[in-house]
Amino acid sequence: MRGNKKWANAYLVFVFLILYTPIIYLIYYSFNSGGTMHDFEGFTLEWYKEVIGDTRLWIIVLNTLTIALLAAAISTILGVMGALAIYYVKKRQMKQLLLTLNNVLIVSPDVIIGASFLILFTIIGIQLGFTSVLLSHIAFSVPIVVLMVLPKLQEMSPTLIDAARDLGANQWDVLTKVILPFITPGIFAGFFMALTYSLDDFAVTFFVTGNGFSTLSVEIYSRARQGISLSINALSTLLFLFTVVLVIGYYFISQKSSTLYGMRGRRK
Amino acid sequence: MEKEAIIRFERVTKEYDGLVVLDDVSFEIERGKFYTLLGPSGCGKTTILRLIAGFTEPTKGTIYFHGKPVNHVPANKRQVNTVFQDYALFPHLNVFENVAFGLRVKKKKRLEIEEKVKQALRFVNLEGYENRSIQEMSGGQRQRVAIARAIVNEPEVLLLDEPLSALDLKLRTEMQYELRELQRRLGITFIFVTHDQEEALAMSDQIFVLNKGKIQQSGTPKEIYDEPVNRFVADFIGESNILRGTMIEDYLVEFAGKRFTCVDKGFRPNEPVDVVIRPEDLEITTRDQGKLQVRVDSQLFRGVHYELCCYDEDGNEWLVHSTKKAEVGEEIGLYFDPEDIHVMRISEDDGEGSDEK
Ligand SMILES: Nc1ncnc2c1ncn2[C@@H]1O[C@H](COP(=O)(O)OP(=O)(O)OP(=O)(O)O)[C@@H](O)[C@H]1O
Ligand SMILES: [Mg+2]
Repeated sequence: MRGNKKWANAYLVFVFLILYTPIIYLIYYSFNSGGTMHDFEGFTLEWYKEVIGDTRLWIIVLNTLTIALLAAAISTILGVMGALAIYYVKKRQMKQLLLTLNNVLIVSPDVIIGASFLILFTIIGIQLGFTSVLLSHIAFSVPIVVLMVLPKLQEMSPTLIDAARDLGANQWDVLTKVILPFITPGIFAGFFMALTYSLDDFAVTFFVTGNGFSTLSVEIYSRARQGISLSINALSTLLFLFTVVLVIGYYFISQKSSTLYGMRGRRK
Repeated sequence: MEKEAIIRFERVTKEYDGLVVLDDVSFEIERGKFYTLLGPSGCGKTTILRLIAGFTEPTKGTIYFHGKPVNHVPANKRQVNTVFQDYALFPHLNVFENVAFGLRVKKKKRLEIEEKVKQALRFVNLEGYENRSIQEMSGGQRQRVAIARAIVNEPEVLLLDEPLSALDLKLRTEMQYELRELQRRLGITFIFVTHDQEEALAMSDQIFVLNKGKIQQSGTPKEIYDEPVNRFVADFIGESNILRGTMIEDYLVEFAGKRFTCVDKGFRPNEPVDVVIRPEDLEITTRDQGKLQVRVDSQLFRGVHYELCCYDEDGNEWLVHSTKKAEVGEEIGLYFDPEDIHVMRISEDDGEGSDEK
């Protein structure tokens, strides 16, 4: 039993090493004054300076953040409404069908989603750029939000709604005073998921960005293709740190909401 | 005015997907009484409460409040409040806000809310618990919060769906007293659901015994206990000896192979009947003095009395509650008065569940 556990731990460490090695490798060389990724010559922050001094890059960062925040916010609203709609569907088969359609959107390859959006936007004549990227990001985030919110709804005892109605609440009161507060943790989870998906999406964005509009992942890709500059490493490192901060932030928020729901110790 | 019915069910039928759950039920609920719906699991007790509260609509028939039909009036427009079986307290609100919920959605003034909530909490002995979260309350306390949350709205009728079933025995008995007391102080109508017959007998002014979506009998606890109308009620309310017999003529009934005088009349001559004798009405005597001769099969000491299980020559089982002790295997006589015999008409639909073979 104990030996088993040891092996499991070793295996876990091994897997994490493999997963994180490329990232650590990349971060390590972002401080290399040599300008290549094989010989470490000396420590420098030059690449970071280059990144920070790059105004075009900053505009792209701003674009990416704007898209991510907007897409996350809008898809959270739509996703919550979708989850509520699925929750309220009475027929079992219909419910299952809607849920399956939702899940298909999540598992279908980004390339297909990107390509189909490209076709759609060209047909209906939406200019490729900010709008098209935003729309497509919203589209692939909504199913994720639905998936995060629905379990919370199903966890809620239906008598809670009856109780609220019994006490005189109308539909709107039930929604705002009972359902939404109850599923808040799910809504937050959905928002953060949507945010991270939007931030690091490459494939879909790659299809639907036009000239003159770009997001970070697409920009990094195109720079990496042009030739190796360690400023890409620096940029990626910064992005990685940002993601870590996001994850920690999410952890604290979910921690706080779970104390709200009963992990707090008893007071005397 | 005194006798006015607040709620009236008129031939109400409720079906779920074609399955009849309540079958042509009619009854009246008066002001200020403690009613109990009593019946086995799945007999439709909760369904009746949900119909009164307005969570579902009847398939057929009409429900009246103060003489007005309310079939289509939604739950939030009815002057009744419910204490749910699982309490259904809002986990994201503290005790105060839970109780205040109904007043808040009715847009009452802040001061009024504060005062009424305090008063309701005082009523259920929960002063000083305002800022606790629901998770910090014990089962019994949660139940009181649920009651406070309901009564703060000053309903005319309070519906309670098995509110005591989650509590342990001691707390349960305590809460039975408290609930009864609360009902007297508030002076409003309680409709209380339980499947525990002792609870029903102890608490109610009026009991409705339900089985399979039908009201079998309604009456005071004493009426129901002493004069069950059929085998189901007799069996469900307390322990009893029930056996088939024949009503020879008025005041004369035959069972266990013998004829006995009784106090019942109004049956057809030689009509087959069910006969009930409560275990506590049977007295142990010597073999010769008894009206029935039985052999003691087993004996249990129950604290207040001995519980004897006996068999007569025909193999009928006789349950006896006696303060006197008997010997297992001994032949004894059972004595009872004519008033202790209760004769019931056999109804068509309670054939099963009979324990005679
Ligand atoms: N929403 C529903 N859909 C379908 N059937 C239902 C529904 N609600 C109740 N029933 C059925 O109606 C019958 C009566 O249910 P009800 O909840 O009234 O029983 P009850 O007397 O309250 O039982 P218990 O003591 O177990 O709570 C049951 O057979 C149940 O399966
Ligand atoms: Mg029930």
